[in-house]
Amino acid sequence: MRVSVVRGGGIAGITTRTTVTGDDLPAHDVDTMSRLVERAGVRRAAPAGPAEGRADQQLYEIEVVDDSAAVSVRFGEEDLPREVRELVAWIDGRPERTRELLT
Amino acid sequence: MAATTHPNCAIAPPDLLARVASQGPAAQRDAALAALAASASMRTQRSLLGRLRQHAGDDVVNRLAGLVVSAVRRQTVYDNQHQGRSFLPGVRTRGELDGPSGDPAVNDAFDGTAATYDFLHEVFGRDSLDGKGMELVSTVHYGVDFDNAFWNGAQMVYGDGSGELFIKGALTAAKEIVAHELFHGVTTFTADLAYSKQSGALNEHFSDVFGTLVKQRHLGQTADEADWLIGAGTLVPSLGRALRSMKEPGTAFAGDRQPAHMDDYVELPDDNDPRNDNGGVHINSGIPNHAFYLLATTLGGQAWGTAGAIWFRTLTERLGASSQFVDAAEQTVQVAKEMFGPVEQSAVEDAWRQVGVLS
Repeated sequence: MRVSVVRGGGIAGITTRTTVTGDDLPAHDVDTMSRLVERAGVRRAAPAGPAEGRADQQLYEIEVVDDSAAVSVRFGEEDLPREVRELVAWIDGRPERTRELLT
Repeated sequence: MAATTHPNCAIAPPDLLARVASQGPAAQRDAALAALAASASMRTQRSLLGRLRQHAGDDVVNRLAGLVVSAVRRQTVYDNQHQGRSFLPGVRTRGELDGPSGDPAVNDAFDGTAATYDFLHEVFGRDSLDGKGMELVSTVHYGVDFDNAFWNGAQMVYGDGSGELFIKGALTAAKEIVAHELFHGVTTFTADLAYSKQSGALNEHFSDVFGTLVKQRHLGQTADEADWLIGAGTLVPSLGRALRSMKEPGTAFAGDRQPAHMDDYVELPDDNDPRNDNGGVHINSGIPNHAFYLLATTLGGQAWGTAGAIWFRTLTERLGASSQFVDAAEQTVQVAKEMFGPVEQSAVEDAWRQVGVLS
């Protein structure tokens, strides 16, 4: 499983992607990541329609890729559910994460 | 203490009040100070403070200065303590009349907010973001290593930065960033430009313009002396020197896609995709940004004096939610004619022509 957090907008308008790949994690942390993904409901989330833009707030896309499928879901900063925030915080806190600039 | 409870003070001449404040019976001193603070315009109060220094003690002058400021500028800085959205505004850390905090982020947010309020009030006569003296609320240390600062419709929010995108502490330290965000508030209360595509790029543009003007005024710079950078020194150096350049759009950081001309306008959908930036609001703002830079440097001198005044009236009185670049161009031309004259009108037209918005 690979989980990525794409962030754009913000005051900079710069887009970044932060990724954690299960292959780089100890087995028990792979389980933790799977559990956080399930709790965040990424696979069950309905496609988001255009949200009203808010000045300099970040936009998020959570991408989950595993052997069976690739899914993604998008949120505005103010609309991030608590469970998704927890997943994002966990990804951000992993020393194995990679971060790349997309713009 | 309200001045109205001391009618004798409320109608007394300022010089008499100053004498009472410095030399009168103790019971009357506070009343005289309150009356001085409440009865004069901001400009008169500042002038009076200077005159008072000649025949009143520093103690009296400093107490009056505190009352003057509290009469018109109200701000509070809070600490989110890294807890995120569920803990806004956070722990109250510094109010308007409090001395500096031991936390640099708190003091930076406070100072940048004060500079922005004073710019609005002293240059354009506007009392706070809403024109009605609303309190300015800022929260620092938002979230953990949060790489952003934003206006959430009610208050300012600043992250510390991760050290991977933004330098830690840099977002609150940059006056143009603080002013940029607060001017999103001014826009909300005036033109309320929709945050999408061209109207969103105008929303960003006006915040960049007044962000840099607050910095330029703070530094006492003319248009020729200014760097015209937004967020100079906030990104980690390996990424670039700033977030945006109004002088040379597209050169601020590696991957900067800002155009300087309509020929290079970047068409993007507004579809919630973080890669598309609400339809390119931080990208295409380079076009009107460059027009303002061209105008300000053509006119010379302090950019907030003429170019800034034209832009401020246009934002606050002439544009609406769906305004496009051409609307901003036509309205600034009209406002230049009304406020100044044919020389300034022609300079505004020429600036918009050079970036391809007017033909």
